[in-house]
Amino acid sequence: MASAITVPQVQPVQPVFRFLRVIPGVLLLAAVGYAGKLLEQNVGTYAKAHHWTFPNIEYVLWAILLGLLISNIVGVPEIFRTGVATYEFWLKAGIVLLGSRFQLGDILKLGGVSLVLVAVEITGSIAFMSYLGRAFKLKPKLTSLLAVGSAVCGVSAIIATKGAIDADDEDSSFSIAAILALGAFALFTFPVIGHFLHLSDKAYGLWAGLGVDNTAEAAAAGSLYSDTAGKLAVLVKSTRNAMIGFVVLAYAIYWAGKGQAQAVGNKAAFLWQKFPKFVLGFLLISLLATYHFFNKDQVGTLANLSRWAFLLTFAGVGLRTNFKEMRKQGLRPFVVGAIGEVVIAAFTLALVIGVGKLFGG
Amino acid sequence: MSEETNTGGPGNRWRLSLDSWAVLLALLIALLVRTGVFKHVPW
Repeated sequence: MASAITVPQVQPVQPVFRFLRVIPGVLLLAAVGYAGKLLEQNVGTYAKAHHWTFPNIEYVLWAILLGLLISNIVGVPEIFRTGVATYEFWLKAGIVLLGSRFQLGDILKLGGVSLVLVAVEITGSIAFMSYLGRAFKLKPKLTSLLAVGSAVCGVSAIIATKGAIDADDEDSSFSIAAILALGAFALFTFPVIGHFLHLSDKAYGLWAGLGVDNTAEAAAAGSLYSDTAGKLAVLVKSTRNAMIGFVVLAYAIYWAGKGQAQAVGNKAAFLWQKFPKFVLGFLLISLLATYHFFNKDQVGTLANLSRWAFLLTFAGVGLRTNFKEMRKQGLRPFVVGAIGEVVIAAFTLALVIGVGKLFGG
Repeated sequence: MSEETNTGGPGNRWRLSLDSWAVLLALLIALLVRTGVFKHVPW
């Protein structure tokens, strides 16, 4: 799907028309997501009633698979595309609501551990991707985009960096396509490896949050393992996302120093502009839940609303992934991205296992 | 993220990002749940 690999453009459309344009796609997200939920409930029951051996497939995977089938077999018609692109909006709203299921103390404790791991992961990933880009003779700005996409937070980081370092549209399309394709691959491989290694929910959640690039894919890869792993993956991934401003600022200063990007004026304003605001929303809801602003039933309702928002996101992950469009972007960035991702996944897995051995769990 | 809609001229200075809209929607929903407008949402 073209919209998956092109940089979003701000178009002069009246707000009311913009709102109306998203409705068909949002309804499609809801229909695909709900169909996934129905399939989860009914396929297992049907197979059991007919004495078939059938694996228990979660709604997360059904929703993604249905989306992938639609996108890659019939394609997503133009009328739905604007609405389908809102899956990231639902993801962020879902993450904020998910804050109700965390005690602030747990976040600070887990966030502290994950912050150290995230710092190590970001440094190692950027260094390795920069080396790979040079070894494969990729354009330097394309290498920067791939490095930021792998190290921090996928598509959002690439879009943020593209603007800050004045990279070409073509370079950002290459990088986004590579990160999306590898994210789709991670969705299916991470849970298999996690089960093979008998990782605990905590260890797997940490790994998915550290190793999977895009936030939607990280949430999905975590949820495919278990509910607890999904929660942790979102928390760790949000910690990674919070670092975006610093990494983009560093790249902007580096390229401005080479005279190939605009100089950054007010650095604090730059950091605030790039900072993912949903992290603040997540912390605020968690703070309110910790001090019993919501009663137990209300926390349950907020958690369920968060699941519904994620359902739309998972449908969107499948619907926006079109392998034919990605193939058009060329092979070399994919090869670099794939080698980088395998090494980063192995590196982060070793980190998580090492931390588990040091601190237990 | 934030920067996606914060590009443009001075007229766009106060335009909220997609990120901020998602936070506002989630906070509004939380408030509606807290005040009992949404009593129970099943999964």
